[in-house]
Amino acid sequence: MSQKNDDMSIAKKTEKLNELIAWFESDEFELEKALAMFSQAEKIAAEIEHDLQALKNDIEVVKARFDEL
Amino acid sequence: MENITTPRFAVSDFIALTNQTLEYAYPSVEVEGEVASFKVNQNKYVFFDLKDADGSIGCFMTVWQLRIPIEDGMKVIVTATPKLTQWGKFSLTVRAVRPSGEGSLKKSFELLKAKLEKEGLFADERKRQLPYLPQNVAVISSVQAAGYADFMKIVNDRWGGLKFAVASVQVQGADAPDQMIRALRYFNSHEELPDVIVIVRGGGSADDLSAFNDEQLVREIAASRVPTLVGVGHETDTSLADMVADVRAATPSNAAHLLVPDRKEVIRDIRRSVRGLLPQIERTIEQRRSELQAIIEAAFLSIHRRYEQTYNTFDATKRVLAQLNPDNVLARGYALIRGSLSPGSIIEIEKSSILVKAEVKDVTEK
Repeated sequence: MSQKNDDMSIAKKTEKLNELIAWFESDEFELEKALAMFSQAEKIAAEIEHDLQALKNDIEVVKARFDEL
Repeated sequence: MENITTPRFAVSDFIALTNQTLEYAYPSVEVEGEVASFKVNQNKYVFFDLKDADGSIGCFMTVWQLRIPIEDGMKVIVTATPKLTQWGKFSLTVRAVRPSGEGSLKKSFELLKAKLEKEGLFADERKRQLPYLPQNVAVISSVQAAGYADFMKIVNDRWGGLKFAVASVQVQGADAPDQMIRALRYFNSHEELPDVIVIVRGGGSADDLSAFNDEQLVREIAASRVPTLVGVGHETDTSLADMVADVRAATPSNAAHLLVPDRKEVIRDIRRSVRGLLPQIERTIEQRRSELQAIIEAAFLSIHRRYEQTYNTFDATKRVLAQLNPDNVLARGYALIRGSLSPGSIIEIEKSSILVKAEVKDVTEK
């Protein structure tokens, strides 16, 4: 369950990071706010990197038998 | 005495006893031979002879049991039960047929490929895309097989946080196609379907991989509600299961590469994107600096123009004033006269360099 939450969190963080990156290219860009936004992007990127490296897959062999009719 | 030791039967009883004996002695046999007199009756019943240089046996089976196309001259191995019919004819009741030898395998492959191709099962229009990042993945393979281990190792290296449900089945041999079909039906029958079904198996001989050329398996893959990814054998191997899959992988390792992105690449991309923001800030600062510079230069130019204008006006005024200076008039030879202009009065005459006192002698109108 926590794996799923972590993954959702990565998806949200990635979405947030993409929004921040898009801000730099948008008309809303303001030089006065740019450094703060950059620091925020750097922080989220580091978090995503950490989360990605920690993720493990959940592998389950199903109990159903396929060798019988 | 003879009547006691020699059994006597009715014909049908004897046939039944013979079949009982045969069934006890050979519940299942494999017989290898060449197909002759192949025919299908009423689209239901298949008849052919299996022969070699010195003998021939009649064979019977149903169409649905025939999982590969066969034709006269092909060498096959049948799995069958020997039987004596009620008309006294000895035959094999066949449960499965598989090609024998490379030539027959290839022939069978080409026949089925042509048939399925004609039906459009391999058409590009049928192919569905795999989701970019599937959350629930169904895997059909043998958990003991090297191909499965390769696949899972690469998947685990590349990405995490996914849920894998693995159906462990035989991936070679006579039972393999049916087991894979049951696994496909199992995953397709869930209320919550997986995002993708992956079928993987490592390399092997043509005979080992022939399970993936089974007609019913190929049709089941084509009918899957869930997009399929199939990676069977080595890069040079081609199976009909590969061809019918939505996405075809060259090997199990390649299937892992196609299924999930590489977290290392994703991390590299993120770092590159964030690093790319700094030049954007620097560019904006440089742009602002240039704009400011331009404003200062324009202001300076404007001030300079005003100064020039004022200076020129002043210069012109100065020149006018200079022209009005009496000294300049005197310098041109004129004289300034002071005093009363009446006869006998003394007047003062100023020239540029001398002063003269003179007496007025006469004054007349011009």
